[in-house]
Amino acid sequence: MAEIRLDNLTKRWGDFVGVDNQSLHIRDREFLVLLGPSGCGKTTTMRMIAGLEEPTAGEIRIGDRLVNDDLPKDRDVAMVFQNYGLYPHMTIFENIAYPLRVRGVAKSDIRPRVEKAAEQVELTEFLDRKPKALSGGQRQRVALARAIVRTPKVFLMDEPLSNLDAKLRVTMRAELKHLSRELQITTVYVTHDQIEAMTLADRVAVMKHGVIQQLGTPDEIYNDPANLFVAGFIGSPAMNLIDGSVKDGMFVTTGGTRLVKIDAQDRDAAILGVRADDMQVHEAGQGDIDVKIYAFENTGESTLLTVQWGRQRVIARGDRHLRKDQNDVVGISLNEDHLYLFDPETENRIRI
Amino acid sequence: MTGRQRKQLWAAVQTALILIAMFIMLVPILWIFLAAFKTHVDVYQLKLFFTPTLENFGIVFDDPYRLGEKLFNSTVVALVTVIIAIPVATLAAYSFSRFSMRGETMMLVIILATQFVPAVVIILPFFVMFRDIGLLDTRVGLILVNLAIVMPFAIWMIKGFIDGIPMDTEEAAMVDGSSRLQVIRNIVLPMAAPGLLTSAIFCFIIAWNEFLFALILTNKNAVTLPIGLALFKGEEGDLWNLLSAAGIIIMAPMFVLALMIRKYFVQGMTMGAVR
Repeated sequence: MAEIRLDNLTKRWGDFVGVDNQSLHIRDREFLVLLGPSGCGKTTTMRMIAGLEEPTAGEIRIGDRLVNDDLPKDRDVAMVFQNYGLYPHMTIFENIAYPLRVRGVAKSDIRPRVEKAAEQVELTEFLDRKPKALSGGQRQRVALARAIVRTPKVFLMDEPLSNLDAKLRVTMRAELKHLSRELQITTVYVTHDQIEAMTLADRVAVMKHGVIQQLGTPDEIYNDPANLFVAGFIGSPAMNLIDGSVKDGMFVTTGGTRLVKIDAQDRDAAILGVRADDMQVHEAGQGDIDVKIYAFENTGESTLLTVQWGRQRVIARGDRHLRKDQNDVVGISLNEDHLYLFDPETENRIRI
Repeated sequence: MTGRQRKQLWAAVQTALILIAMFIMLVPILWIFLAAFKTHVDVYQLKLFFTPTLENFGIVFDDPYRLGEKLFNSTVVALVTVIIAIPVATLAAYSFSRFSMRGETMMLVIILATQFVPAVVIILPFFVMFRDIGLLDTRVGLILVNLAIVMPFAIWMIKGFIDGIPMDTEEAAMVDGSSRLQVIRNIVLPMAAPGLLTSAIFCFIIAWNEFLFALILTNKNAVTLPIGLALFKGEEGDLWNLLSAAGIIIMAPMFVLALMIRKYFVQGMTMGAVR
């Protein structure tokens, strides 16, 4: 068990900057998720922690030890790969036993430990098979078992669920969460899926272009986004971002509609952020503004109304019993307590 | 002509072409096979039915031909060539496949380019060089020459197999606690085994059949089987029955190896990654 400390970590390939001078302190026993779109540097950051990629500059510490010059095998980490990285010529038992065998654990110790790990991920009946004979979900479990068979200082997981189908991903996500709470080992988890990040993380680091945009608990990054990127990346559906300006304490859309009261100074250009859940849908005439429905979607647990708002489209969430049709007119009102204002130039949040 | 008729005609043409190609390739082998069991008298007659005899195989191993010595030389030269070439080529191929080196592409092209030089062009320098350092007419000399011939081929072929092993698997092994050499021994070699075996067999065949260098660089002690064939020339002309018997002895191991290759080649190609 250990904390991880990254100091001014940089990775460059020629002119391309993968990770740009980032510092990050991952606490002991913390589950930290690196979240971002592909190419944002999250996987590179993890691979540098694992020792599979050499940093261009900066320091990596696991526990008290500076590990920059340590080989992957000497860092005492375990990693789960996106494509599982199983050994196809070995049985499941041999796959799980490999980290023990190669580290010289006594033969008599290996069997009980492999069996225990296999039991934790419900693989006991498959130990004699080869990876080829398993399904994707089972293979991912083998990769997990191989990681937990030792007690490493750190777990590293590189998009472990992204090759699974949607349904299996949800079950495996819960299993992962359960397992990580049981094991209490510092974990770094890379994903581009904001739901995985929200559900699994103690803290999330949202990355873009090699820079951490915001580091915080799932609550913080959802309810208190630091900038436009985080606001647009977190949440499903994504936060609505409406172009406009602030005049006399009101937000005015670019179309000229005086939309909602906002407690901010006048400015010529501003972006208003509002989540689908923070908009109420009423009958026409009863809300702050009347709008025409562009598309009506029923997801079962709720309804999503895409409405045409001048030149922009905005998504509002309605009650699950609401039934409307395309081109119907509804009234919309915004929850004034949950509005976000951003500067379109700097993309930073303007605190209200 | 309807589309269907055209299709049938095309199929017939294809079959005919294949049969002609097979005929051209297989008839000489059939001829040799028959001649090896014929007597000196029968051999010049193109008859398919005759009383077969095994005496040719006895004669070629006796004085003055002593094919056994040549067989021994060929076996030693080809085997040692393969035993040295495959491990060395594997390490080279692994480096080319997994590490980025300065001038890597250049080196790979140069390795391949050695194959473009016609043997006839360099055989004289080889002769002079071998004469000066005393490697003329030795098995060691032939092994060196054969290594130079098969190595580029082996490196390229094995590199292809190693390229096919997913990086994830090796990285997983490294994080799991393996050193680079352990990764190669525990992961890369078993996964590339069908490919290594295929390469080994190809190298063996090349070394086994090598003719030109052996012809120029040996004369008595290190003579190999293909050169041995040239012995069967008597005052009464070419001794075709003996030549054919020796030919069978040269070809037999090739047939066995070809069958093995077929099996492992398919395995090597379909090994596939685990995803």
